[in-house]
Amino acid sequence: MKGIVAETGKMSRFLSLLALTLIAVSFMLLAGCQQRKATRPEGASTPPAKEQSSEATQQKGPEKITEQKTGTVSSQDMASGSAEGKEGMFADVLFDFDKYDVKDSYKAEMQSVAAWMAKNSSATLSIEGHCDDRGTNEYNLALGDRRAKSVKDLLISLGVSSSRIETISYGEEKPVCTEQSEECWEKNRRAHFVILVKAGK
Amino acid sequence: MMKTYKQWARGKGIVFVLLLFTFYLSLFTPVEAKVYIDITSPSSKKLAIAIYDLQGPLGREISEIIREDLTFTGLFMCIDKASFIEDPSKDFNPQNWTPLGIEAVVKGSVSGERNLTVAVNLYDTMEAKPVLSKQYQAEKDLLRPLAHNIANDIYQSLTGAQGVFRTRIAFVAEAEGDKGIYVMDWDGQRARKTSVKSKLVLAPHWSPDGSQVIYSSERGRQWGLYLLDFLKMTEKMVFVSRGTNMAGDFFPQGDKVIFSSSKEGTPDIFTLSLKDSSLKKLTSTHGIEVSPAVSPDGSSIVFVSDRGGSPQIYHMRSDGSDVRRVTFEGSYNTSPSWSPKGDRIVFSCRRGKNQICTVKPDGSELVQLTEQGNNEDPSFSPDGRYITFSSDRDKIKGIYIMRTNGEAQKRVSPKGLKSNGPRWSPN
Repeated sequence: MKGIVAETGKMSRFLSLLALTLIAVSFMLLAGCQQRKATRPEGASTPPAKEQSSEATQQKGPEKITEQKTGTVSSQDMASGSAEGKEGMFADVLFDFDKYDVKDSYKAEMQSVAAWMAKNSSATLSIEGHCDDRGTNEYNLALGDRRAKSVKDLLISLGVSSSRIETISYGEEKPVCTEQSEECWEKNRRAHFVILVKAGK
Repeated sequence: MMKTYKQWARGKGIVFVLLLFTFYLSLFTPVEAKVYIDITSPSSKKLAIAIYDLQGPLGREISEIIREDLTFTGLFMCIDKASFIEDPSKDFNPQNWTPLGIEAVVKGSVSGERNLTVAVNLYDTMEAKPVLSKQYQAEKDLLRPLAHNIANDIYQSLTGAQGVFRTRIAFVAEAEGDKGIYVMDWDGQRARKTSVKSKLVLAPHWSPDGSQVIYSSERGRQWGLYLLDFLKMTEKMVFVSRGTNMAGDFFPQGDKVIFSSSKEGTPDIFTLSLKDSSLKKLTSTHGIEVSPAVSPDGSSIVFVSDRGGSPQIYHMRSDGSDVRRVTFEGSYNTSPSWSPKGDRIVFSCRRGKNQICTVKPDGSELVQLTEQGNNEDPSFSPDGRYITFSSDRDKIKGIYIMRTNGEAQKRVSPKGLKSNGPRWSPN
């Protein structure tokens, strides 16, 4: 009997402790919930009236839908004052897919370009780098840049002054051939020569 | 007898605890804010929603735009109007919808002719009460932004997250031999020219506040970086030099941009301050270093380099230190861009043709998302749930969007407009 009373006492003490803990936890969580609700900007439980009054500038009024007007802007045209060129004097240098090293087979042609530059000492040369359209735009522009630079470096090594050679990349933007074939792609992977004549002449 | 008393006492205690538990549970269920769809869970079930045509002029058009917006997210199932059960002559009772499994209903009205006033109610059918009740005003010309705005509010009420339905996509398009910067709504509607034009223009990059874009343009045999300000509608050249200069992202503070330039010989990565025009060089190799993208927190940069023999994605700190390779699969990986959380990188991966792939910045969890045609120039939407990219799958190159898991791929740019280089606006 004694044992039972003791056990029941222990039991009810345990239960009331559990109950108290639960109540305490409940209130803590409840407080937490309310706090969260208050910080929620436009949560699902927010009453609609509250949401509208939170727009400080418009009391209970409708939301005005506006849009920033886009006007027009004209781009500065930089074409004037630059150079016009003479093309077709030298054949294009062609490159392998994804490569920018000048093949040995172009040695003779490079020498004739260098010789012409030596003879026409007032001329400036522009080398355009181009690619086929299989790569991505930006990488192709970098690749075209690198192709033009390779040809420039070779000409410098043959005695042409670097100040007389400009390079520009057009990537895949100016193809000479637009079919999707190996033959066509090869023609597009090129360094193209333009003899520059100063504008305003 | 004594044993029975002991059992009774214990039983009473258990009943008491159970009662407490019931009370405890009843306390929280109604108070806790209801989350209708957990958008962070990839497998969550679609929420069935019935969207009535708003009553009044243009109500049908507005409701259709809202349906299209919500459907594209992949989170909602818009119920076919044919199966609507309400008798319009009787009072609306949201609870009528619950037996059909429909969890939300949108109703509302439009009034006015040139100036529209719209009232919208979004009902939770279980609770039979409006969870959103709001009025809007807009000029008739702004019908689409108005509808997208309502869709954003509905989306936010049901998911707790911001919608992207009023965002835009800036891109490059070609008309009459000239290229120019265009801006369209994210769904491809209302495409408009900015009048910026040149023979050659590259993909625009948005400023963090969405008021400017920076892009490269070739003018007079020189590649320059240009800044277009949408508020002032001015274009300003911010950098030009010999060689190829290609604009990358803004840094998060908006005062600095990253770009690639071959001004010192070969293409390398630089930063440019928009305040004092100062430059800082971050890479120097003999090969190609191009297409830099700044992480959302500004601490890291991914870029393309051919230092390993083929174009691959590399990662470095924003001061240029700690360079490591990210991609190893395939021989041509280019055009990286960060997700808004910085947890994934989207890029163009060559698998025969160019496809769109994503990967974690540490190089793990590579996923290929596209299969048709050539797909390039990918970037994320500001909420990180969608990707825009260019594709030639329908012959003419156009702008496409899809969910980040590759679902719902569709062209959004105007049919027949040759376009590329899309970038999703930050807001």
